[in-house]
Amino acid sequence: MSDQHDHAYVKYSSIFYALCICTGLSIVFDVIDLKKQNIIGMNGVVLLAVLVLAVACAKALFVLIYFMHLKFEGRWKYVLLSPTIVLAMGLTIAITPDIGIHYYTNEAPQIDYLEQARETAAKTDALNPEKSHVE
Amino acid sequence: MGLPIPHSKLGMWLFLATEIMFFSAFIGAYIVLRAGSPGWPDDPEITHLRVWAGGLNTFVLILSSYFVVLALEGMKVENFAKARRYLCLTLLLACVFLGIKSYEYAGKFQYDILPGHIPETPRMAIDKSMREMKQVVDQRAITLSAAKLPEKTEPVNPEDTVEVAGVTDEKTEEVETPVEELRQQLQAELAAEDTPAARKKELQTYFDLGDKYRKLNDRALEESISMQEMNKELETLKQDPQYASLMAPVHFLQPIIYGNLFASVYFLLTGFHALHVVIGMLLFIIVLIQGRRLSKKWKDYVENIGLYWHFVDLVWIFLFPLIYII
Repeated sequence: MSDQHDHAYVKYSSIFYALCICTGLSIVFDVIDLKKQNIIGMNGVVLLAVLVLAVACAKALFVLIYFMHLKFEGRWKYVLLSPTIVLAMGLTIAITPDIGIHYYTNEAPQIDYLEQARETAAKTDALNPEKSHVE
Repeated sequence: MGLPIPHSKLGMWLFLATEIMFFSAFIGAYIVLRAGSPGWPDDPEITHLRVWAGGLNTFVLILSSYFVVLALEGMKVENFAKARRYLCLTLLLACVFLGIKSYEYAGKFQYDILPGHIPETPRMAIDKSMREMKQVVDQRAITLSAAKLPEKTEPVNPEDTVEVAGVTDEKTEEVETPVEELRQQLQAELAAEDTPAARKKELQTYFDLGDKYRKLNDRALEESISMQEMNKELETLKQDPQYASLMAPVHFLQPIIYGNLFASVYFLLTGFHALHVVIGMLLFIIVLIQGRRLSKKWKDYVENIGLYWHFVDLVWIFLFPLIYII
């Protein structure tokens, strides 16, 4: 084992650099402001979400596999981690139809105001109430 | 035959498995709530979320994770000085993380972006400003008369406070009477001839502000004032050197659609994460206080707290894009 340490030392630093590059990439996606754009017919917010979450998953895998040494562990790792991951994703999927996707229109004062604000914004570009705040 | 790993490490991994479910419940709820709430606040000018702060914190945690790995390497080759050095650096970076986090939290408090404090429509914003201004005026009366009052009860809902101007409601009348009495005492003091000039000036300022509040509140009740007009009126009062210090607690009117839900989720997720950071710091301190006594038998411990710390990093890796970028 001990002769691998120097080798591992180099590898850890490259993982660290990869993680930094990924973080930089996320910030670049934020800076170029994909939300307002409509690239390849995809909603900007969805595209942004897909990109930054893909980067986040890559980073998470780097940390799990190398920093947490899962690459070098036995098969017990699958037994231990797969149920929790299935349950974790299952919960999100289970509550999505009711809360995330409505077949009905929500009735809330916020929604009325949002519609009003959108109408005013459509009529006049000037003085959108949401944007009037000056720091 | 058991697993080829120490029991403590198996324990840590089982604990981390429960932690994955703990955080994914919150993160999943956030994603779903957000998808179901059209107009969720995502403009940094409104939410005061700074990408640079989140990005810097991501970098800090990644660097600290890297240092933990190096510390473990030190433990493995029995270079305890190296292990101590990197654990120290990790602890330091954890402090930096919490420092940036508290800077961000302070900004949230400054702009009153707190669960249950955020108006979501212009009407609610006007109600809120009137409630704040009423508190300012009442507080001033209390300070001026320097008298002890019975505990003030929280207004049950915003409508109650806006209606207070009329003071016809039994419920509000009961609560408001003491301040009203103080007001009359102060009025008498102002009218009295032996009151010093400086005191008179203070009292006059208080009554002027009170009158301004009542006028604005009447317009708010009639709904004859728009949010922009109200903001302008409050801004004029804040600019006035007489009232500037008094008006400080009154916030700029800024309705945020789904702001309360946003603030709840933000504080829940980042708060629980920060709690994990604090616990991780305590675990590092336990090793560091060993000083030169640090020995081979601590290797498993360092490996386990390392796993925990990487997990804390992992959670932030997901929180950063979800909260700050999308």
